[in-house]
Amino acid sequence: MTVTLVTLLKILVIYGGLINVAALMTLAERKVSAWMQFRIGPNRVGPWGVLQPLADGVKFIFKEEFTPEGANKFLFRIAPMLSAVPAMLTVAVLPLAGDIAIPKLGTFDLPFFGPTELGGITTNLSITDLDISVLFVLAVSGLSIYGIILGGWASNSKYSLLGALRASAQMISYELTLMLSLLSIVVMTGSLDLREIATSQATIGQWHIWTQPLAFILFVVATFAETNRHPFDFAECEPELVGGFHTEYSSMKFALFFMGEYCAMAVMSGLTVTFFLGGFGVPFWPDAPWFVELPAFLAKTAFFLFLFIWVRWTLPRFRFDQLMGLSWKWLLNLALFNLFLTGLASALGWF
Amino acid sequence: MVIVKRKELSFAERLYLPEIFRALSLTFRNMFQREITRQYPEEPLPKTEVTRGQPRLVELEEGSLACVSCGLCEAACPAYAITIDGGETENFIEREPKLFEIDMLRCILCGFCEEACPKDAIFMSDELELAGFTRKGLVYGIDKLRRPRAALQKRIDYVYRINDRWRNSSSTH
Repeated sequence: MTVTLVTLLKILVIYGGLINVAALMTLAERKVSAWMQFRIGPNRVGPWGVLQPLADGVKFIFKEEFTPEGANKFLFRIAPMLSAVPAMLTVAVLPLAGDIAIPKLGTFDLPFFGPTELGGITTNLSITDLDISVLFVLAVSGLSIYGIILGGWASNSKYSLLGALRASAQMISYELTLMLSLLSIVVMTGSLDLREIATSQATIGQWHIWTQPLAFILFVVATFAETNRHPFDFAECEPELVGGFHTEYSSMKFALFFMGEYCAMAVMSGLTVTFFLGGFGVPFWPDAPWFVELPAFLAKTAFFLFLFIWVRWTLPRFRFDQLMGLSWKWLLNLALFNLFLTGLASALGWF
Repeated sequence: MVIVKRKELSFAERLYLPEIFRALSLTFRNMFQREITRQYPEEPLPKTEVTRGQPRLVELEEGSLACVSCGLCEAACPAYAITIDGGETENFIEREPKLFEIDMLRCILCGFCEEACPKDAIFMSDELELAGFTRKGLVYGIDKLRRPRAALQKRIDYVYRINDRWRNSSSTH
């Protein structure tokens, strides 16, 4: 009983948190971009504009939901969900903090269940601990491309279709790099469990960013491409494709695409932290309690979220052939080379 | 024919990553620079004597308009924004406009009416904001156009000074 309640509570807190992060990211994006361009940014709704996401939400709800003529209604409707859901699903296996001991709370008389003893268990801050969470994350985040392709195809528009085509080609290319760069970490830790990978980097010297710097760079570049962010945002590409795959979307459907993108960014940042920066580990404090580990994890993740915005407002967009060339000629080969070296070192028993 | 010499890139530049970090450091430093945004309605633009806003009619001390409805500004107006209908009065200046309308949606704030006026009756004020719910409401009549001479004094002095300078430097004079 306690386990069920605790799991429900964790689901509520983590998903609520994720959606709030996504909402805050829309504000952060506008604020940071404004600061980088000597502007002020949104400052009218609430102090320093902090309530801007709320105003945006209200606007999205009241906008007209438009379906273009000739669109495939069913796929057009289901595409935003397919884009947002995988991004939100992957957060289920992210280890946010270590063990939490819940003290015995006593016996309560619950409706339907009768007298139940609550408390007295130890849990940890992730919705579920899969043994193969790395595989789960990669498989599920790979699904989000279906939302983009279906959205682009079902809207019966040239720009949407072009955006979707580009997105699919790009995602397939960069997923290879993403997975191959992760494999070298898996080889090093010998585990597909995210929590184990995080706990194996207990001290700051054991962080994989030092042992696998090449894999770190490749992974970060690939996450930018996976989440369709600058400088690889060919799926949207405002100047060429109007809005890419979501040209024809409006109202909450568009908001869902948007939320999916920001959730994916948050999850990818969390993954980068888990794989390369010691996850929830606190530097120089190996046995930190969970309420210190969680802010440590969030702070590290926040840095990578900031990096997403920072890069977006710094670098120009690639050309599409450059993007593909970068992936197939450089990143993939480097990832394979890195994996080979890691495997060789592992076979020789260096770690 | 122009032969464009491309810059030979160094190895570090061709690696691309160091250049990315240089760019990132630039944008990061920019974040702490002062904003140059002017928050418009709260921080209005500075108004000088040269500011050429919407035209306004001069109201003399005794409360009548300086305008004698000669129609020169109507003729000079390139946007056909001015409509005048004249009439006679018992005052010392025997004519005054019965109807003087400027369609503010047509007005291009060029200042030709100010130049054309022989009686110093119309001047460009420093009022620039224009908003309304209907097009009809933005056709300003005499009641909305009249301003005491003191309110336009800065612009009047400026126009006099500029005209003097022009007269003194003109070779035909």
